[in-house]
Amino acid sequence: MGNWERLVWNQRDVLLAGLSVTVEVCAIAFVAAVVGGLVLCLIRLYVAPLRPLAILLIEFFRDTPIFVQLMWVAYVWPEIFGFPNTFFNAGWLALGLQSSGYLAETFRAGIEAVPRGQRDAAFSAGMSQPQTFTRIVMPQVLLASAPSIVNQFTVIVKSSTLISVITVPDLMSQSQKLVNVWYEPIEILTATAAIYIAFVFLISLTGKLLADRLRRRYGLAAS
Amino acid sequence: MSDALKQSLDLSMFWEYRAILLQGLIFNALVFLCAASVALSVGLGAALLRINRFWPMRWIGTLHVEVFRNAPDYIMLVWVHFVLPLLIGMVIRRRVEFHPFVSAVIALGFVYSGYFAEAFRAGIQAIPQGNLDAGRAFGMSERLILWRITLPQVVRRMLPEALNLFISMFKATTIVSLIAVPDLMYNVSMVIQQEMRPLPLYTGAAITYFLIILLLSSGVRVFSERWRRKILA
Repeated sequence: MGNWERLVWNQRDVLLAGLSVTVEVCAIAFVAAVVGGLVLCLIRLYVAPLRPLAILLIEFFRDTPIFVQLMWVAYVWPEIFGFPNTFFNAGWLALGLQSSGYLAETFRAGIEAVPRGQRDAAFSAGMSQPQTFTRIVMPQVLLASAPSIVNQFTVIVKSSTLISVITVPDLMSQSQKLVNVWYEPIEILTATAAIYIAFVFLISLTGKLLADRLRRRYGLAAS
Repeated sequence: MSDALKQSLDLSMFWEYRAILLQGLIFNALVFLCAASVALSVGLGAALLRINRFWPMRWIGTLHVEVFRNAPDYIMLVWVHFVLPLLIGMVIRRRVEFHPFVSAVIALGFVYSGYFAEAFRAGIQAIPQGNLDAGRAFGMSERLILWRITLPQVVRRMLPEALNLFISMFKATTIVSLIAVPDLMYNVSMVIQQEMRPLPLYTGAAITYFLIILLLSSGVRVFSERWRRKILA
């Protein structure tokens, strides 16, 4: 037990600093993914001239492995676009892009599941098109896809371990630094794995409870 | 700026190294095949534990699923490669080391066994009790019922989901380069270190993976659509 105290508990500041970077990157990536997914989905559905481009982007983000995409965004994008200028930005950008592809498809399925009649009813009640979208369609889409959105957040957290490869000081990279200092991987890596598992478990648990509660309140059956 | 773009899209360097890169891709496929068989068998085992009559067995099965479904694959890979050999060494009192390939197969296999366990369990629980009762009435043993009645139906039902899991698994095989399995990404980074030209090589790798996985996933999509219609009919 002495080892655990020496290698994990006494190093808690280092690990917690890493955890806070992980949380920060994942939170930014998640917001970027939701916004990006919504934009891609709307372009795909409603902006006919840009539709092929949106489909190409969605498929590219979904079908390229996150590690490859991360390296590509981190090392190729700065040369071409001049952005992202730091590895931190590259990290959340790559994570966000990948998830935005998945979320775009989730949103599209949700939008297409809203019956046409509801939109017609909203028009005939005098609602404008944006009003119909924000008040009739979107609430139902968000309720229906809440579980998938939460699931996507857990995917982001899991993939975020890879940003340690591009030297972002997240939890994974902090624990690897500790391993390199002490040469005793057992306790440190086990503790890191446990932290990640507990963190992801906690997110999916609270997400499920929240989604069930929302759905019950607004009259959709719990999944 | 446009010069950088031109350089990225100039894939002649990627083409020049095609032999070594293709070799890497074959390693991806090998890791995938081995890890997939581990994931399927361990997943089936965990699913059977989860529907066992005895609660300690069920508890172990649930723990297995929750741990591996919530674990990031990269940390599991590192853990299996650097910690597991030490733990085994402490038990058998001898120095143990895993070949990176072995670590990759164990780590990916176990991570995905959690997802496969859930797919198996959902399929098993969807089978009407009447089927099992009928099998018992014919005097079939529990094992025979599992192999002849339950599993054939489960496999048919879970096939589309399993194919999607296989695709995610194939994508995940890219991270094995991080423990020095010589897969496509590993070879790409080796060539980059030699040539100092990351733009065309990373772009080429991204495009290669994109095309392969796009092909696989659209194939799976078409197949699943037809399969569902056939099964439901």
